[in-house]
Amino acid sequence: MSTEVIKVNINSKEFEVPKGARLIDVCRDKGFDIPSFCYYSDLALQASCRMCLVRIEKMPKLQTSCTIICTDGMIVTTQSEEIEKAQRSMLEFLLANHPLDCPVCDRGGECELQEMTFDWGGLEERFIEKKNYAPEKYLSPMVANDPQRCILCKRCTRVCDEWMGEDAIEAGGRGANTVIGTYGGWLDCSQCGNCIEVCPTGTLLDGTYRHQARPWELAQTISTCSYCSDGCEMSLGSRAGELMRIVARDRYVNGHNGEFLCIKGRFGHPFVNHEDRLRTPLIRYKKGGKLIPATWDEAIRYTAEKLKAAAAAYGPDALGVVGSPRITNEANYALHKFATEVVGTKNYAATDAFSLKPFFDNLGAPLATHRDIRYAKTILLIGGEPEELQPLTAKQIRQAVSNGAAKLIVINSVPIRLVEHAAQFIHIRPGMENAAVWALGHSSNETTAAQKMGIEANELSALRQTITETEGDVVIMFGGELNAAAQMIVAQLANSFRADTRRVLLHPLPLYNNSVGAHDMGMMNGAMSVAEMLDATGSSIRALYVAGSFLPEHLRGREEALAKLDFLAVHELFETDTTAFADVVLPAASFAEIDGTFTNNDGLVQRVRQSIPPVHQAKPDWMITAALAAELGKDFGFQMSASAVFREIAERIPAYSGLRYPVLKDESNPVQARYNIVEPRDLSSALNELKQTVAALPDDGEKSNVTPRVGHELFKIGTLTDKVSQFHLLAAGNPRPDTVRVSPLYQITVDAKLERDAAVSGD
Amino acid sequence: MFIGAIGCEPLQLARVHLENSRSLDVYRKNGGYQAIKKVLDSMSPDDVINELKKSALRGRGGAGFPTGMKWSFVPKDSPKPKYVVCNADESEPGTFKDRYLMERDPHMLIEGMLIAAYALGAKTNYIYTRGEYRYLIDIMDVALEEARAAGLLGNKILGTEFGCEIYTHTGAGAYICGEETALLSSLEGMRGHPRMKPPFPAVSGLYAAPTVVNNVETLTAVPDIIKMGGEAYQKLGTEKSGGTKVWSVSGHVNRPGVYELPMGYDDMEKFIMEDCGGMLGGKQLKAVIPGGSSVYIMRADQIIGKDVRMDYEGIVAAGSSVGSGGFIVMDETVDVFESTKNLTEFYKHESCGWCTPCREGTDWLVKVFKRIAAGHGRPEDAQLMLDLCDNIEGKSFCPLGDAAAWPIQSAIKRFPEDFRKHLVTSIDSGVST
Repeated sequence: MSTEVIKVNINSKEFEVPKGARLIDVCRDKGFDIPSFCYYSDLALQASCRMCLVRIEKMPKLQTSCTIICTDGMIVTTQSEEIEKAQRSMLEFLLANHPLDCPVCDRGGECELQEMTFDWGGLEERFIEKKNYAPEKYLSPMVANDPQRCILCKRCTRVCDEWMGEDAIEAGGRGANTVIGTYGGWLDCSQCGNCIEVCPTGTLLDGTYRHQARPWELAQTISTCSYCSDGCEMSLGSRAGELMRIVARDRYVNGHNGEFLCIKGRFGHPFVNHEDRLRTPLIRYKKGGKLIPATWDEAIRYTAEKLKAAAAAYGPDALGVVGSPRITNEANYALHKFATEVVGTKNYAATDAFSLKPFFDNLGAPLATHRDIRYAKTILLIGGEPEELQPLTAKQIRQAVSNGAAKLIVINSVPIRLVEHAAQFIHIRPGMENAAVWALGHSSNETTAAQKMGIEANELSALRQTITETEGDVVIMFGGELNAAAQMIVAQLANSFRADTRRVLLHPLPLYNNSVGAHDMGMMNGAMSVAEMLDATGSSIRALYVAGSFLPEHLRGREEALAKLDFLAVHELFETDTTAFADVVLPAASFAEIDGTFTNNDGLVQRVRQSIPPVHQAKPDWMITAALAAELGKDFGFQMSASAVFREIAERIPAYSGLRYPVLKDESNPVQARYNIVEPRDLSSALNELKQTVAALPDDGEKSNVTPRVGHELFKIGTLTDKVSQFHLLAAGNPRPDTVRVSPLYQITVDAKLERDAAVSGD
Repeated sequence: MFIGAIGCEPLQLARVHLENSRSLDVYRKNGGYQAIKKVLDSMSPDDVINELKKSALRGRGGAGFPTGMKWSFVPKDSPKPKYVVCNADESEPGTFKDRYLMERDPHMLIEGMLIAAYALGAKTNYIYTRGEYRYLIDIMDVALEEARAAGLLGNKILGTEFGCEIYTHTGAGAYICGEETALLSSLEGMRGHPRMKPPFPAVSGLYAAPTVVNNVETLTAVPDIIKMGGEAYQKLGTEKSGGTKVWSVSGHVNRPGVYELPMGYDDMEKFIMEDCGGMLGGKQLKAVIPGGSSVYIMRADQIIGKDVRMDYEGIVAAGSSVGSGGFIVMDETVDVFESTKNLTEFYKHESCGWCTPCREGTDWLVKVFKRIAAGHGRPEDAQLMLDLCDNIEGKSFCPLGDAAAWPIQSAIKRFPEDFRKHLVTSIDSGVST
C-alpha cells in the first residue's frame, strides 16, 4: 500500500486514509461496524454474502464495501434506513433455510451467524414454509458436516485452496441446493481442519468434539502448540479438568498463526487425559523386575541416592543428563542447571537429532518471523518438507506466492508438494543438500556441485540471479539435512546477498516445538550428543537422567544401550521404549497442565499456560528436577513458580534478557529472542570441510520423481498421536465405510487400531 | 412459423430462406465474406470500430450496451492476447433468434467474428453455445471447417497477414452462463459463477486477458454495417438504436416466429394485431412480455392505442424494455399469477447460488408461490413478495437477481387482480406449510 494519503468522508466525518485502502477495512478501523461473512482478510474476494453493503455517493446501487478501494473525495454512508433494511434482509435470507435449532448445534454460542442476527437481524420471522433439508454427514474422520447450516460464504473452499493448496473441499450443486463437499469420497487432504476453524456457522464441525460440550462451559486458555517448531498459538478449551478441544478461533486467541492450525495441533490432544497416562512415580527396585508405584518422596530420594552413588563410583561425567525439544524452556533450563551445577557433568544433550548450535553460533542475519515469510519477495527452501513438518511455514510460503507474488525456489531431492508453487525447482540427487549449500557459499563451486547434484550449473546461477534481483525480503530456509559446516555457511549467507534494497532473513526448520528453546537453554552445548551418550553406556556413561524418551532413530541399532546402564531415571507421560529400561519413572505433566514457554523457529518466545490441573500425580518437569536438586542439597530457588524459573533464564541467557512472563502476555504481539548476530566470519575452513564432504558423496543416484503423499509425516503415529483413534484411521489409509453413514468414531471401534503395530515415529 | 423481415429489407434474415443457406457457397454468392474482404483491403482496426460507433448498434443480448464503445474499451497496448467470445448461450425464456441465425446462416456469424477479431487484434476466438444447442455446434463446426478450407480462417486470411482461429464450446445447461463473466468462468473450465466487475472483460476477461463478449445477433449485424457503412445502417433505425432487430415472437398469436424489424418500428399494437396475424382464436390481448422473461410484463392497455415504438427508448417509455427481444404474447386465458410462478421457478432453478439474495430469495419466492397455489395464500403475501423482490433487487452480485425480481414486481403491480384472486380464495386463513 502506498504512503500517499487521500481523504474519505464516512458518515459525514472526514478521514485521511492510505491510497489503495479497502473501504470495509477503513470503516471498521474508524469505528464504523460493518457486518460480513464472506470477507476474510488475505483470502480472495468473494462479495457474495452481500452483508457489507454501503451507500457511496454517485453510485446507483448500494455497494459491497469489501470490493471498493477508497478513492479521494469518496463520500460513504454506512448507516441509514436503506442500508439497515438491506442488512436485515440478507440475514433474513440466510436464516430462511437455516435450521433455528441453535441449542443442538455445536457452534451455538460462538456462531457468527447467531451473533450477526442478534446485532443486525430482524425481530420476527416471516418465513413459514418448509426449510430445505440435507442430511448430516462426516466428510472425514475429523470433519463433520451439517450442510443445512451453510451460508455459502466459501471461506472453507478458499482456505483449502489458498492456505493449504489442497483444493479438497468445493461447492457442488446449484442455487439453493448448493452444498459444500468433496469431489467424492472422504476429504482427501491433510485434515488440517482449518475449514472448521473459519466456518462462521455450524456447517463444518470438529468431528472429534461432536456434541461433547458447549462452548460456554469451556474455560479457554491461550497456549502454544506442542507439536512442530512453528509454535502456533491456540486456545485450549477445558471443562472440569478435562481438555475438550483445541481451536485457534481469533475471538479466543490472536497469535501469529491467525486462525491456522494443522491436524496435530487441532486434533492431536487426546493424549492429555488419556487413560494410559502414568498415575504415580514408579520404581524398579531390581533390574529386570517390575515398575512398582511409589510416592514422590520415595522416588526422588531413591533417584538422588542412585545418582549420587554413580557419581561417587565413576565420577560426575559418568552421569548423563538428557533434555528434550518437546518440553519447556523452564524444564530444559532446570535440567541444564542440574547437569552443570548439581551433578557437575559435561555430558548433557537434548533428544533432537538436528542440533542448531552451528547455525546460531554463526548467525549472520535475523530470523524471519512467519509474518516476514508471508510478505517476502523471494523464498529459498533448502531441503525439508514444511507441508508435512512445519505446516504454518508452508501456509505462509503458499500465501507469499499466491497472494504476494513471491518467488519460491525449492532445492530438494524429491518433488515435495510446495514445488507446485515454486518459480524454480532444483531437483537434486538424494543426500546432496550439503553440496547445494557449498555451491551457494561460493560461485566457483557451482560447476562441481552441479555435477554431484545431477543438475545444470545454470540452475544455480539462475537461483543466484533471482536472489540478487530481489527488492525486499529474501528468506532462506533449511531443513535438518544440513551438517554443521553447511549450517555455518547458511547462517552467513546473508553477508553475500544483502543489499540496500534487500534484507536477508533466515528460517531454520527444526522438527520440534522447542528445538530452538532447547538450544537456547544450552542443552546442545554438552560434550556428547545423545547418540554418543547411548554408544557410551556401560563404559563412560553409567547413569542417565532423561526428560522425555529417546527418539526411535536414536534407539534404532542401539537396542541394548539402555540395558547397559547402572541407573536410568525418566520423566514421561506414558510408558515407552525408554521407560521399559528405567529404574525410576517420574510422571510428568503435559503442556496443557503447566506454565512455561516454548521458543519457535522464528525465535518467538511464547507462553504455555496451564489449562487443567496436572492429571493424577504428574508434576511439571522443572519442578521434578528442582526437587531432585533439593534432595541432592541444592536449592534452585524456584519455589513453586514457573515465572521464577523464567526470570532466572532471562537473567542468565543474553538472548532472553529483559523478558518476563508479563512481557510475553499478549500473544498478538509476540516477542522475538534477541540472538547475537555475529560479524562476518571467515568461511574458508567450513567451505573446505564441506568440499571434503561433497567429494565423498557418490557421483550417481536416482532422483525420486514421486511427490510424497499428503499426510505421510502428519498422519504418522507417534507416542502422542497414538492416543487419537482418528490418526489410526488416517494412517491406515482413511478407509471410508461405503454403505452406512456412521460416525467415524463408531467405525474406529469396529475396525481401526489395525495399524497400531506399524506405528513407529517420534512425532 | 414465420421467419422474415417486416418494414425493412432483411439483413440478418436475408439468406435464411435460401436452399443450403448454411453452405459457404450460398453465403458467398449472396454477398458473403465481402465485408471481411473490404475490412482487410481498406480498413484499419480503428476504422472498423468507428463504423461500429456510427452504426449505433447496441448489444442484442439484453443489456443494449453500444457495441462500438464496448470494442473501444479494449486496451490497444496490452501485451496480453485478446479474445472475441460469441455469447450463443441463448437461454432467456421466450428467446430463439440466435438459434435460427446460427442454424440457417452460420457463415454470417463467422464473418462477424472475423471482423471483430481484426478490429480488436484477437487471434483466438470462441463461440460459447448453451448445452442444449448441441446440434448447433455441429453446424458451426462444419461451417468453420468450410471456412478454414477456403482460407477464411487460420493463418493469412484471404492472403493477408491477418490470421485468427475460432473454436466452439458448449456449456452444460446453466442459464447463468449467459452472463458474460460467468460464461468466461465456464469457458475456462470453472464453475459457472459470475465474476466481480470491475475489472470488466474488456480489460480482464478470458484468462485475465482483454476480451469482448458479444451476442450472436450483435456479431451477425457487423458484416452488413461494414458493407453499407455505419451511417446507413444507423439510419435503418433510430438515432440511438441503429439498424434492425430480430424478435422471437411466441404465445397467443396466429403467426409466431422470428421477425426482423427496423428499430423504431411503429407500433407494437400493429405488430401484434397485423404482422403476427392477430390474436389466436380471436381472444383478447391481456399481456405482453416484450424482451424475454427478465423484463417488466406489460398490460394490454399499455399497448393498445398507445403507439408504442419498438426500439430501446420506445419500449422503456411504455414501461418495459427490449431485453433479448423474446416477445411473449398472452391472451385473456392466462393467469398472470401462474405465468409468474412459472418464471420464478425458472429463476430459482437457474440461480447459481453465489450470492445470498438471489439464491435464498428465489428459493423463498418459489415456496411462497407454491403455497399460494396450494390454496394457502394470505392477504399479506403480495406485500411479502414485493418486499422480497425489493430485497433482491439491486443487492445481488449479478443482474440475475434483478431479472428474477422484475417480472414479479411488475406482475403484482400491473395484474393485482390475478394475485388477489389467489389470496382471497384461500382454503383457510390460517398459516400452513
